[in-house]
Amino acid sequence: MPPTPLPTLLSSSELSYLHTSLSLSPPIRPDARSPTSFRPLVAETDLLPTANGSARLCFADGTEAIVGVKAEVERTGVVGKKVDLRDSGVEEDIEMGDGDDKTVGSGKVGGEDRWLEVTVDIPGQRDDDAMVVFLGQMIFEGLVADGEFRGRLVVNERWHWRVFVDILLLSAPLTYPLPLLSLTTHLALLSTHLPAPVAGLGKDDDPLFNDDWDAAFPLYPSAYSKSRAKASIARPPITLLVISVGDNIFFDPSHAELAVADAVIAVTIASSTSENRNDGELSLLAIRTIDPPSRLSSLAAEVGQAGEDGAWKPKKGGMSRSVLRKMVGMCVEKGGVGQEVLGGLEGFT
Amino acid sequence: MPLDTSTYHLSHALLRLDGRRWNELRRLHAQISTQASADGSSYLEMGNTKVICTVSGPGEVRGGGGGGRKEGLERENAIVNAEVSIAGFSGVERRKKGIGGGGGGGKGDRRTMEKIQNVIAAAFTDIVFTHLYPHSTIVITVHILSSDGSILAASLNAATLALIDAGVPMKDYVVACTSGLTPPAADIGEGDASDPLLDLRGGGGGELRFWGGGGGGGGERVCVCVMESRVRVERVEGMLAVGVDGCKQVREILDGVVRAQGRRVVGSVVRQGGR
Repeated sequence: MPPTPLPTLLSSSELSYLHTSLSLSPPIRPDARSPTSFRPLVAETDLLPTANGSARLCFADGTEAIVGVKAEVERTGVVGKKVDLRDSGVEEDIEMGDGDDKTVGSGKVGGEDRWLEVTVDIPGQRDDDAMVVFLGQMIFEGLVADGEFRGRLVVNERWHWRVFVDILLLSAPLTYPLPLLSLTTHLALLSTHLPAPVAGLGKDDDPLFNDDWDAAFPLYPSAYSKSRAKASIARPPITLLVISVGDNIFFDPSHAELAVADAVIAVTIASSTSENRNDGELSLLAIRTIDPPSRLSSLAAEVGQAGEDGAWKPKKGGMSRSVLRKMVGMCVEKGGVGQEVLGGLEGFT
Repeated sequence: MPLDTSTYHLSHALLRLDGRRWNELRRLHAQISTQASADGSSYLEMGNTKVICTVSGPGEVRGGGGGGRKEGLERENAIVNAEVSIAGFSGVERRKKGIGGGGGGGKGDRRTMEKIQNVIAAAFTDIVFTHLYPHSTIVITVHILSSDGSILAASLNAATLALIDAGVPMKDYVVACTSGLTPPAADIGEGDASDPLLDLRGGGGGELRFWGGGGGGGGERVCVCVMESRVRVERVEGMLAVGVDGCKQVREILDGVVRAQGRRVVGSVVRQGGR
């Protein structure tokens, strides 16, 4: 698990007070929010002239991220067979490949996961730092998980788009940065447009694109758009940070709340694409447990030994299944938090 | 896309490709205090060049092991460090990052970045009253989001604003802009007819680059001057004059941004006091 930066500065009795008020029923959060409400955030999209899509997002705690999406046209090998791009005269160096040239079984979708590349840049951290690689991989896996994304990148049988998602964290990582990066990536991808191929492009032709940017089509077509015959409801996934204190569950935890969390999980959700799902229910892509800061701090050991009254003692052991089920349920259920967040983000674009 | 600039000549066209006259700046837009978690921050656009700058400090020397720490404690003056990162999506072509070390077109990039870092650090070490902050560092972080020429100038301007936002005392604004020369019009046969230009865009082929930054006193003290290419010595004076003139315009704009922010801050304090 990635390291959680910045230890908390609260004393153990302050932590105890916070833990108690959060485990009350109904719980009282320090900033008087309801358990599922988010802090206000500032976002803008399409701010970079040289990117296909971009977004900037500022969270209430002052952390800020910018994501730029760029697309390049690249020659494809033969679809449906195992191809080594290195032999087909392509200059692009393959960075994501790791030698496992996955090809897709179903010829209908086509495409390969490595056509998408995600890089994360955090100031003061090396590119190959464990946390940076982990964050990039988590976002990458979420994006390709629905299996449909790579199908959109196909131009024709010989050409495809290669999409680069560059994630830039502008501020110091004050809290766990994954939700910020994931929401920013979501917005950037929603605002991403790819140039439209000129009409009458054969399946073997070299691609020619319409130079009118207004004619470009969105990578994730809006559910309301009429430009494409099949309006898709597919959306880039988002990752939410959920904590539990006692039996209570909180979304968008502040730094102080994270410090007393019994369990912290990152839930990756996306709108479901398959038709047999109940309409409106989101599909769950991933759950990652994150070590709560309380277990990492030296405070945990000290207080645990002392065991005095009024001092906070971090909970030992894992989280109960019922709490986990409740956490995930609140994210994915119809009309739940996940849907609310996705709907809110849609409003920005 | 870059049109053929080799044939154009100011005495014929009077306008540059983007419609500016020789002594006009691109649209300069700046915001101050854009990021809540940083000590000081700013956002600056010069045309299509977009830069975000954050300042942390003045603060204690951070990390760097025992040796670095000791060195910091002995110091009488603050040191100013600059970190510049050029985003992968900043140019027309995506810049490849050497993942796993050593790869990609890193070398030239790294050299540009190091040059910019050094120039920024040196310029602000001069201008900031470093003696007020012994044993401390000021870190200027510049993110170049979109580059269309004049990266260094935009970075310096943004850093000035971010330092003001951080409340770091300075002698004066450091403002910067580029100036260059039109390509000599060989076909006209006048030989020496090349004119100075202000605030160059990226990829303006054939133009000689020269970069001047002014600051201090009445805005006429040149504290940084970087040449990107060779020029004949008799051209330098003209380019410098144009550059300093541009810097005065930049200074006025930045000053307006700072004053507007000041009014906003004072206004909010007054409003809170009235309650």
